[in-house]
Amino acid sequence: MDESTLIARVRAGDSAAERALYDAHVDRVYRLAFRLAGDDALAQDFTQETFIRAFDRLGSFRGDAAFSTWLHTITTTVVLNGLRKVKRFRQRETDIDDAHEIGVVRRHAEPEGYRTVFLMHDVEGYTHEEIGVALGVETGTSKAQLSRARAKLRVALSDFAGEWVK
Amino acid sequence: MMDQHEDPKFEQWLEDAAKAYHTPHATPREAMWKRIEDARRNKRVIELRPWLRWAVAAAAVLILGIGIGRWSANRASAPAAASTAAGGRQVANEIDSLADVAYQVAATQYLSRTEAFLTSFRADANRSTNTARLAYQARELLATTQLMLDSPAADNPRLRALLEDLELVLMQISLLNPVQDGHDRDLITQGMNQTNVLPKLRSAIPAGPVPVRRTEGAL
Repeated sequence: MDESTLIARVRAGDSAAERALYDAHVDRVYRLAFRLAGDDALAQDFTQETFIRAFDRLGSFRGDAAFSTWLHTITTTVVLNGLRKVKRFRQRETDIDDAHEIGVVRRHAEPEGYRTVFLMHDVEGYTHEEIGVALGVETGTSKAQLSRARAKLRVALSDFAGEWVK
Repeated sequence: MMDQHEDPKFEQWLEDAAKAYHTPHATPREAMWKRIEDARRNKRVIELRPWLRWAVAAAAVLILGIGIGRWSANRASAPAAASTAAGGRQVANEIDSLADVAYQVAATQYLSRTEAFLTSFRADANRSTNTARLAYQARELLATTQLMLDSPAADNPRLRALLEDLELVLMQISLLNPVQDGHDRDLITQGMNQTNVLPKLRSAIPAGPVPVRRTEGAL
């Protein structure tokens, strides 16, 4: 069964079609969530939230882009918003406890956009077009962020220079 | 000497290192699907959509209109007293409905905070967060939970059920014992997973930003 038929059946309330659509996409959604979150419990939460939102909003999917692109837009929104919430919450805890440490963490923190683009492109194999749609940025911005992310990594990894010669 | 930017070995090493970063586990399909189904069954405890903001604005305009009407009526003549009283009742009703909205908005805000807290609690596998702080934060949220249970927001039976689940979890966290901390935390996390409290909580929170300022002091 092709995907548009499957989507039409989900819209009509077919629960078997819902499960088939979930099975077709869950691996990639979970992988992306895990790469970005680095934590199994969070990745599961974000994956669940992505599918709950996707099924609820399937009526607004017009089919202009591929379903997977639309779904990964929801995934990145859910994951990045979720991580911001967790980070804000932890930051507040740390604020109370140890203001000096925050300064250290902030100085070493990678800008979130670079990290996301790097993980999506170099690790998970998304194209710049897909990343652009998912993050709501121009393709050029995605390319520029990837280039900066790689440059930053090279600098950050310069301490390990020579390891890759082995 | 070759710059590492041009070194193909470096590029290969970087690529390999990146692939090992946050390597995902096998997808827990069935467990996630079950929670998705449960959450969708319990979907939408409260509805707070953008139109609701328009409804608030419309209600405010209505109240203003009634207020102007009353003022005009008072100026016009004394016999208008009866209609003014009716207008007053209508104003009271409108204020009540605004208060309901305020409680819903406050509920959304509270649910978002609780979700962030419980997500952070569950994700804190390294036990890096101080138990006393966790207990303190849980007590704060617990106090709000109990206020919410006594507020009109809990008239909704699904929201009440969720609040009761949250009350139990927050109570357990607030009573965490630093000595048996690890074991207690595991039990609480297991309980949260079994009752699906986080997916239910998330499905109760409407998408979009939570309007903070307008709800301050609602509870």
